This record gives sequence, C-alpha cells and structure tokens, in this order.
Amino acid sequence: MMYLYCRGKPNLLDMGSLMIKPIQRVMKYPLLLCELRNSTPSSHPDFQALEDAYAAVKHINVNINELKRRKDLVLKYKKNDEEESLKDKLSKLNIHSISKKSKRVTNHLKILTRGESQVKDNTFNREEKLFRSLEKTVRHCVKNISFCLQHVQDAMPLALQSMMELQEISHNKDEEESSYSESPSNAPNPSEDFAAHLQKLVLTPLSVLLSLFPGPQKLIQKRYDKLLDYNSYLQRAAADESDLAKREYEALNAQLVEELQVFNLAARKILLNCLCSFVTLFRDLMIVAQRVHTTTVPVPQLASSISEIQNRVLEEVQNLNFVKDNNATFIERKLSFEKKKPVQTLPEVPRQTDTHRSKLLSTYSTEELYQAKRKCNATQEYDINLLEGELVAVMEQKDPLGSTSRWLVDTGIIKGYVYSSFLKPYNPARVQKVDAENRFCDDDFDNISLFIFYAVHAFQARSDHELSLQEYQRVHILRFCDLSGNKEWWLAEVQGQKGYVPANYLGKMTYA
Amino acid sequence: MSWIPFKIGQPKKQIVPKTVERDFEREYGKLQQLEEQTKRLQKDMKKSTDADLAMSKSAVKISLDLLSNPLCEQDQNFLNMVTALDTAMKRMDAFNQEKVNQIQKTVIEPLKKFGSVFPSLNMAVKRREQALQDYRRLQAKVEKYEEKEKTGPVLAKLHQAREELRPVRDDFEAKNKQLLDEMPRFYNSRLDYFQPSFESLIRAQVVYYSEMHKIFGDLTQQLDQPGCPDEQRERENEARLSELRALSIVADD
Repeated sequence: MMYLYCRGKPNLLDMGSLMIKPIQRVMKYPLLLCELRNSTPSSHPDFQALEDAYAAVKHINVNINELKRRKDLVLKYKKNDEEESLKDKLSKLNIHSISKKSKRVTNHLKILTRGESQVKDNTFNREEKLFRSLEKTVRHCVKNISFCLQHVQDAMPLALQSMMELQEISHNKDEEESSYSESPSNAPNPSEDFAAHLQKLVLTPLSVLLSLFPGPQKLIQKRYDKLLDYNSYLQRAAADESDLAKREYEALNAQLVEELQVFNLAARKILLNCLCSFVTLFRDLMIVAQRVHTTTVPVPQLASSISEIQNRVLEEVQNLNFVKDNNATFIERKLSFEKKKPVQTLPEVPRQTDTHRSKLLSTYSTEELYQAKRKCNATQEYDINLLEGELVAVMEQKDPLGSTSRWLVDTGIIKGYVYSSFLKPYNPARVQKVDAENRFCDDDFDNISLFIFYAVHAFQARSDHELSLQEYQRVHILRFCDLSGNKEWWLAEVQGQKGYVPANYLGKMTYA
Repeated sequence: MSWIPFKIGQPKKQIVPKTVERDFEREYGKLQQLEEQTKRLQKDMKKSTDADLAMSKSAVKISLDLLSNPLCEQDQNFLNMVTALDTAMKRMDAFNQEKVNQIQKTVIEPLKKFGSVFPSLNMAVKRREQALQDYRRLQAKVEKYEEKEKTGPVLAKLHQAREELRPVRDDFEAKNKQLLDEMPRFYNSRLDYFQPSFESLIRAQVVYYSEMHKIFGDLTQQLDQPGCPDEQRERENEARLSELRALSIVADD
C-alpha cells in the first residue's frame, strides 16, 4: 500500500517534504478509508466501523479546513490600514467593492431601524461588550494616572521648598546648623522614585495594552460587515452566495469569540495588577513623605495657641512707634486684635428697604404679593412684625395647624406668619397712582408751602399714626395724602410730633 | 565759594556720623530682605497648596472614571475594588482640603498680616529721609550764614536759620533714633512670630501623610493579592502581554 511504500523510504532529504508529510497523511486517510469501504460488502461485520471511521476522518478534515479558513481570514483583514497609501485605497475601489459597501450600509440601517438581525451570537456580543469596556477603562486609566503623576511631581517639591523657606525665615542662621542638622533639603525627592516605579509597573504596561486593542477592533468591525452580508443573503434566500458568506462569517465569528475571551481575561488581569501596583506605590510615597517631614519633630501645640502667640507678637510690633505713626487708619483698625470679640448687640429688627421690596417683586408673581393694611405685631411663635404698607409675598395660605386665617409670608428679610386679615392684595397700579399722587402732593406742597394750616376743629388721635389737634392749633403739613394715597388724611407735624390728621378738619391760613 | 568745589559733600559727613548711617543701612537692609522673603514665601505657599489640591482632585478623578465605567456592572470583583479605591481617594481629598485649610489659617494668613507691617516701615524710612534732607538743607543754610561776615542782618538771618534748624534736627534725630531702636526689634520678632507657623506646617504635613499611609495601607490589604512584590507583578504583566501578542487577532507591530 502507499502507506507502506512511504514508510519504506527512510531518506527524506529536505525540510519542505518533511513538513508536508502530516498534511499529506491527513488527506490520505479519507481516500484510503473510502476505497476500503467501497470494496467491503455491506454485510461484512466491519462495514459499520469503516463507515464511522470514514465519517470521523472526513470530519477531522473539514475542521482543519475551517480552522485554516479562520486563520486566513484573520490574517487577511488584520493588515494594517495605515500601510496603505491613498493610491492603494483608490485602486481597491471598483464596482464590486462599491456595491458590497453600499449593500452593507443598507443592511446596517435595516438592522438599526427594524430591529435585530437574523444572525446573532450572544456569546460574541457579551465578549465584545467586555472588550469595549476594557478598552475604555484602560484608556482612562492611562490618562488619569499620568495626570495624577504630573501633579504629584509638581506638588511635592513645592511643598518641600516652601517648608524650607519658612524654616529659614523662622530661625536664625547659626541656630539652624546646630539643631536642625537633618534638614529636609538633604532628603531625596520622594516623587522621583515614585515616578520611575509608576512608569515601569503601571503606565508602560497599560500603554502597551492599550496599543493592542485596535487590532481586534478592526476584526470585530470586519465580522460585522460579514454578518451584514450573510444576513442580507439569508433574507434574499440566495442559496450558494449565502453559503460562502455564512462560512466566512462563522469562521471570523468563531475565531473572534475564542480569542476575545482570552484577550479579555488577560487584559483584565493586567489592569487589576496595575491598579494594585498603583495603590501600593502611592502608599509607599506617603511613607517616604511622612519620613521626610518627621525629621524635624515639633512640640505639639494647639492651633488656637498659635494664633495667640502670633497676635501677641504682632501687637507688640504694631505698638512700635514707627508703625503707629505711619499706619493708614483703616489698616490700624483692621489689625487691632481684641482679646475677646465684643459681644454683638442684638441687631435692630431690620425694616424693609427698597432692595427687599424689589427682590420680592422680582421673585414672586403679583398674585402672591400682598401689602400690610396696618401695623401687625407678632403674637405667636413664628409670627413676624409688619409695618403698614410693607410688601410681603404669600408663600402659604395656611399655617401648620391648617387654619387659613394665618398665612406664611416672606418679607424679603424674614419669613413668618401673619393674620390674613391684616393683608390686602398688592396692586402695583394703585401704588403707581399713589406715587403719582405723592409726587403731585410734593409739587402741591412746593406751591402752597407758604400756606399754614390750622385745625378748624379739635381732633382726637385714635392710634399712633394719628396726631391729636387742639382747636385753632397751627400745624405744618408734610404730606397731603397718606401712604395708600388717600387724600382725606394728611401728614402733619406739630411741636415735633408727626401724625395723620383728617383733611376736612384743617383750614388754610394765608398771610396777607 | 566756587574755589571749594567739594564743599557740598562735606556737611553730609558732619550731620550724620558714618557709623550711624551704616547701622541704619544694615538694619533697613535686613528688613528689606525680610520683606522680600515674606512676599516670596507667601506666593510659594499659595502655589504649593494649589498644587496639593490639584493632585488630590486628579486622584479622585481616576477612581471616579473607573466607577462610571460599564465594566463595573459586568464584574462584581472589579466593582468592589474600584469602590474601595474611590472611598480612599475621596478621603484623601477631604484630608488634603483640611490640611490646606489648616495651612491657610496658621501660615498664609499670618504671613499676610506680617507683610502688612512693611508699608508702614517703608513710609517711616521715607519720612526719615525727608527729614534728613530738610535737616541737611537747613544746616547748609546755617553754615552759609556762619561763613558770612557777622553783620547785623546776617546775624539776624543766622539766628533765624538756627531757630528753623533746631526743630528739624530734633525731628530727624527722633525719627532716626526711633527707627534704629525699633527696626532690630521688628526684625527679631519674626523668630517668635514664624516659629509657630513653621511647627504648624510640619505638623499638618506629618498628620496628613500618616493618615494617607494608613488609608492606603488598608487599601492594599483590602485589594486582591496583598503583599505581591513588584518584580512578580511585573513578570506577570509581561507574561500576559506576550500571551496577548500571541493571539492571531492582535495585529503585528
């Protein structure tokens, strides 16, 4: 037999024929077994065994073929694109490639719009997702760790330098030599060591890892293209074309699935290793820095006592005549330290100013704004005081207990409760009218300032706003209307006291 | 007068003795140097604290980016590790901020306050200089009259000039003495003033670094593979990388 014939030839001369032997053998077996089977009658006891053997051997060959196809495909597509010049790229363009690309684009859009494709591999999808996350993680790590390193290299020397400068300023030169022999200036810069190790253990491996990602990335993209092709053929049910596409897709897919798993595992290991190294290095850096700074061990002191000492010294300095004489007064006031801060007197309850009013006007809408009809005094907890005419914004038309007669208002200074009966809606138009009237009043006042008024009848004040008048008492009018524009009431002044009086009680006195 | 060309130079020597002038220059020189030092130190400290803060912020960013990564959803182990790292980084940032605040309070602020005394000093020196000029001028005038013939009006003018000179001279003498007396005191006060700052700075750094040591020591314990020496890790990385390069899907470089 041929097999025996081959074995009988001991002198195989060159490497090529030696290497081709396994291939020849593998391909020979199906042929041999086929011949055997054909010459065996089907009733022979070995026939079944032969059938099985033949099927098995053929199966092996098909496997080998597919494996080879996978490797070939991968080799074909992992060619580096950058090596191709524009001319090469253009030369590849022909009708066939253009039609292929356009078909793929259409299919891709179909999948995007109509949902899943028929062809799917969940394992692959999972691995690909992991692959992408790993790439992103590694990329970020490289960037962030580099930045951090940069900052460490900036910060540590600066800290040491400042410390030395401060030491210089706070000690006499001769003292320094005796007590602080291990000055920090002798210590090696801790950050340099850190930088070197970090580079070796973390940044270099991660960067190398990062550079390994684009290769598989390209193949993944190619696989997707094949998937689209296969998908489109399936949909059109074109039998023989789809067969080739199917085989190509499956080959690429299988290869990628297998190797991506390995890739992901290894990449993850490297990443974890690097992160651990980073943390360890950081810890070591802290140890070194701590050691460097502990060479000069100070007496422990509280922060408050530091400021006491310093304030005392500074006071002494400022008591020096040249300082006292030449200080700008505001600096002097700023620098004068009291032993204790003076107890702050309770601030007077601030009254609403224009700024508060404008703030309320701008923050709240007009429906929410109300005006105090009269002075309100706080009676219960959380109540607030209001003066007549003050502007408030109503936040809630009830109090915590649910009663609707007490409202939560905001005066721009403080928030609190007032009884709703004290409030009337704020009418800006009316206020403007009031302003206009006030202005008119002022003009009026200017015109008739020569006139002095007197009380025709006596008038008894009923509240603090009003002014009591005796009959025929002369009054000086400050305003010819009250705060809400009412012309019936005028603001009068008598003997230093001010208050509102009813206009019809007053008569004009003209001087001749 | 023209036959004595260097007469103008002479009164300078007589008014203020050379030794006094020299002392003054020396003391003022020291203080000027101190002013320079203070200003420079203030700037450097600010730069240093800013750099420190930048560093801890970038460290936090590392862990933050890791946390926001989809890898965390897929891998529980990874998530735990990254969470631990993130906690550590955030604590580092907090401690750093505290350290910077402490330094701000006990070093930078006092520096500023100390530095604010210098304008007064410079003003005082300037005033003394002005007084000196006035003194010289009047002294020259007096001497000019002294040289002249002792006639009536000249004598009157001389007397007047002497009267004018006296308060100015007294003023200058007072200023001079005051400054000569107080400048060394000011200069020496820096020792007592800055020593607490220096101690506080060191203490702040030591406390910070020992805290960091503890935090990161705990973290290394917590993470996988505690106590793995560097060379071993390096070798493992290399092994993995070669494994990766061997894959067919990875491009040949």
